[in-house]
Amino acid sequence: MPRKILHLDLDAFFCAVEEQRDPSLQGKPFAVGGKPEGRGVVASCSYPARAFGVHSAMPMAQAVRLCPDLIIVSPHREDYVRASRQVMARVQELTPMVEQISIDEAFLDVSDLPEPLEAIARRLQTRIWEELGLPCSLGGATNKLVAKIANDVGKSRAGKGDYPNAITIVPPGEEAAFLAPLPVRALWGVGPKTEEKLHALGIFTIGELAAYPEQTLARLFGQHGRDLARRARGVDNRPVVSERGRAKSISKETTFVRDVSDARKLHKTLEKLAAGVARSLRRKKLLARTVKLKLRLSDFTTLTRQTTLAAPTDDETVIIDAATALFDRLWRAGQPVRLVGVGVSNLQEGLVQLSLWDEQDDRARRLQEAVDALQARFGPDAIHRGFEDTGKEGVE
Amino acid sequence: MRVSVLQENLAKGLSIVGRAVASRSTLPVLNNILLETEHSQLKLSAMDMEIAINCWVGAMVEEEGQITVPARLLSDFVNSLPKERIDMELNARTQTLHLRCAHYEANIKGIDANEFPIIPTYQGDMDAPSVEVEPAKLRSMIDQVAFAASKDDSRPTFTGVYTLLEGDRLTMVATDGFRLAVRSAILEEPAASNLGVIIPARALTELSRIISTVSLGEDDGVEVIFTQARNQIMFHLPGVDLVSQLIEANFPDYKKIIPTSYNTRAVLDTGEFLNAMKVADLFARDAARSVKVTMEPGDPGKVILTATSPELGDNVSEIDAMIEGEGMNATFNSKYMIDVLQIIDTPQVAFEAVSATRPGVFRPVGGSPEDEYVHVIMPMSPR
Repeated sequence: MPRKILHLDLDAFFCAVEEQRDPSLQGKPFAVGGKPEGRGVVASCSYPARAFGVHSAMPMAQAVRLCPDLIIVSPHREDYVRASRQVMARVQELTPMVEQISIDEAFLDVSDLPEPLEAIARRLQTRIWEELGLPCSLGGATNKLVAKIANDVGKSRAGKGDYPNAITIVPPGEEAAFLAPLPVRALWGVGPKTEEKLHALGIFTIGELAAYPEQTLARLFGQHGRDLARRARGVDNRPVVSERGRAKSISKETTFVRDVSDARKLHKTLEKLAAGVARSLRRKKLLARTVKLKLRLSDFTTLTRQTTLAAPTDDETVIIDAATALFDRLWRAGQPVRLVGVGVSNLQEGLVQLSLWDEQDDRARRLQEAVDALQARFGPDAIHRGFEDTGKEGVE
Repeated sequence: MRVSVLQENLAKGLSIVGRAVASRSTLPVLNNILLETEHSQLKLSAMDMEIAINCWVGAMVEEEGQITVPARLLSDFVNSLPKERIDMELNARTQTLHLRCAHYEANIKGIDANEFPIIPTYQGDMDAPSVEVEPAKLRSMIDQVAFAASKDDSRPTFTGVYTLLEGDRLTMVATDGFRLAVRSAILEEPAASNLGVIIPARALTELSRIISTVSLGEDDGVEVIFTQARNQIMFHLPGVDLVSQLIEANFPDYKKIIPTSYNTRAVLDTGEFLNAMKVADLFARDAARSVKVTMEPGDPGKVILTATSPELGDNVSEIDAMIEGEGMNATFNSKYMIDVLQIIDTPQVAFEAVSATRPGVFRPVGGSPEDEYVHVIMPMSPR
């Protein structure tokens, strides 16, 4: 039995949410992101803006040059998170086999549902539009690779200037034929370097790649070559992994508007990031064994260090201490820092050894749970650890 | 001091007291062993902040005297000597101990014996509550309980074994907050008074080791003296005294922790259960040592152990069992399970559970009704 996999992508998600906040934005070229003077980049841009060549991850200053009438909207992250949760909740009602890959993208394994893929996709798209007013596109196929590419192709075929609302299904057995005319670059694992090498071999389309002798590819690219050959034929056996099994690492980072060399400010940022990572761990009911620190200096040199903890944890105090210790060993006083990041990996399911008696550990845990609950309700700034520079101790 | 001892006797005595020698003590004399002549015997003593041990070795005393010498050097030297007579002579002026054995000779610099703290020594009538326990029984009690105590010094109460004397019943209890071991035994002679003290688990572990080391006659017992006024307890057996500080704390109410009923009870072969758990542990090691225990009623019923490592792979073991009650599923720490299965000395063991988040209970099956043992382990649970 071939699988039935859907790839869901919310169309210009941040922009769609912004239009709900401010309907006057509808139909206008606008971009969500940071201010051009503060190193801002485009996080998302409306389809009218895309018609001018603006795309996401582009420096805002460049976007404004391309489209002088571009309206710049500051991001409202909490609104995106809320809207994303509402969408994913509806997706979850369809099937628990959901692998969310980002705030606006997910894979669904709907093999268990009796209807044809197209009908399932249509039903989900209609529901998200009618109940949440958010446009989305879906790609469907027998595996993740083809579903994702189908969605990308479907979206790019839609008319310019408006939300695509595309649904593109590749029937079983037609995977290779569907991929064949596409440029190799559309395939996962083909970046600029690999593309260049493939072009040198005279391979421009996925079909040409599929027809190329696999042994030669294996000789030239090693295991990567074998993977490419398989993908080019539209073969991909990776399962849809739901939330729990998926997380391999969790990290948070901050890029400063201006480079920072003040130890107190760096420490404070580090503590906030580490606390945020710990919060994500608790929300995902996971424990981490490895803590990682990332520093990017003003010359873009990126330094990373990691440490393994004695026991797996989701305790922010432990993660803060580990990240701070790494930082203090790595950072030379006065060194200007452009970016700091804290991450955890080596994750495991958060099984806890229960205690015979309700004791201190549990008190600390209950406090933490209460803080998490308040933050979930009123936002991360509602309550947080008293950091050193406030001169206060404990929870404010 | 001039005294002669046999190498074997001295080596054995030094190994008995050696475990009480303080390591890295700020008081240099506590890194030493005290040697004293006493009624044609050589008495060896060592102590740290928690326990003290005296041991008597048969000797030929020509001149009385006493000295302390570095424990490590003396033990290593004596252990290297042939099994012959060792002649020791103290140069009182230089506080140097001269040793000679066969063609080996040494001078070991010591510290004046007067600097060594006074260790209580057993005297016939100590005017304190005391009981006598059969050595093998005491040893089995310690071995079934002491391991469950905590090794974490931040909770001193849990590093001890709560030892209760109630009439003719002696009970030992230890817990680290996650598991609880309770063992009781009937004494031949009831105690004069009822009392409860917390003895450092380490002291009892050393006592168990000493019982296994010394040669005891059939009628020899271990006398347990509750010298409560000085907040110490003394164990006396032929040729050896062990004195321990007590832990001053209130032991938690352990009785209310022990479940009084169960929804599922499995009776199975102890050895098979232990071996399957050791296999599961290979896979559970990098998964917080969590092993899923499934009890499946049927004919025959089964206990199924499942361990999954995100990196290594997984493992399933099935053990035939008599299951009473409904099917049950709970996750436990494999180390705790192995610890208890290793010390249950009956061929069969009963495992009882109420639910996946309530404590699981181990009981030996078919043992002596006088020697009651119960072991409680809290499960692991997703939070």
